[in-house]
Order: sequence, then structure tokens, then C-alpha cells
Amino acid sequence: MASGVDQAVGMGLVGFSLLLFIYYTLWVIVLPFVDSDHVIHGYFLPREYSVILPGIAALLLVLFVGMFIVVVMWKNRKPKKTQ
Amino acid sequence: MTKLAEWLSGLTLLGVLWAAVTFDLLGLDPPEAVLQVSRPLPVFLLVALGCFSLGTVGYRVATFNDCQPAAAELQEQIREAKTDLQSKGLRF
Repeated sequence: MASGVDQAVGMGLVGFSLLLFIYYTLWVIVLPFVDSDHVIHGYFLPREYSVILPGIAALLLVLFVGMFIVVVMWKNRKPKKTQ
Repeated sequence: MTKLAEWLSGLTLLGVLWAAVTFDLLGLDPPEAVLQVSRPLPVFLLVALGCFSLGTVGYRVATFNDCQPAAAELQEQIREAKTDLQSKGLRF
């Protein structure tokens, strides 16, 4: 059995990804077929952001991974042997 | 056909279908609502894949079959093996 913390974190991730998926699906797939004067449109940003925000997130991810690699390689550099 | 070739041809086919709808290459004149769904479709599929991956990782973490007594026993066996091998001359 996974520890209590592990279970909480794991199910938290599941819930978060589910919420994100539902919100994003509504935004991209459902909203274009809803009348433009429906109240639900107030809960969603303009549609350009549905492409811009994932783009920024992808950029941040690449930046983070790159920084991680730089930090790890920097820590593992060995000094040159001197005679 | 290699797996790479399979995936690439599948992706290319889907890409061509998407471009044909989004940029109206076949003169089909899709309604505006269809275009509004079709344009961000690649980004949407990427985000959906990301959500699925995140959820799967979280689920596997939550249902991991961790067995503490077995882990402790394994650590003890590793210690025993180390001392045994060191006494026989192996350097760690």
C-alpha cells in the first residue's frame, strides 16, 4: 500500500488533471457551439488564450528542464587533475 | 514497415485531414463553429495528452504496491552481501 501522503498527492494529481481536462475541453470543443449570449461564456477567457497559455506552459517546461540539466551537469563537473 | 514509419504516416494522414478542414483546401466551406473547433485541435490534443499523462502518473503513485517489510528485508540482505563480499576481497 502506498503511504498516506503518496495516496493524497497521487489522487490530487488525478483530480487536478481531470479538472484541467474538463475545463479545457469545454473551452475549446463545447463553447463554439453555445450561443454567444449564454452566461457560461463569462467563465472562460477569450479563445486566443486557449492556445497562448499552453504555449507559455510548454516554454516554461522546456526552460525548467534545461535549467535542471545545467544545474546537475554543473554540480557533477570534476576539476582537472594537476601534475 | 517500421514503427516509426507507421507513426509518421498516421500522423501525416491526420495532419493532412486537419489542414484540409482548417484551411479549406477542398472547397468544403465548413461552418464557422467547426472552424473554431478545428483550428486549435493540435494544441488541444497535446494538452489532453499532457493531462492524461499527469493523471496516469498520479494514479500510479497513489496505487503503488509499496511493501515496507519487504523493503527493510531487502536492505538488510544488501548489507549482508556487502560485508560478505568485502571480506572476500571485493572493493566497493
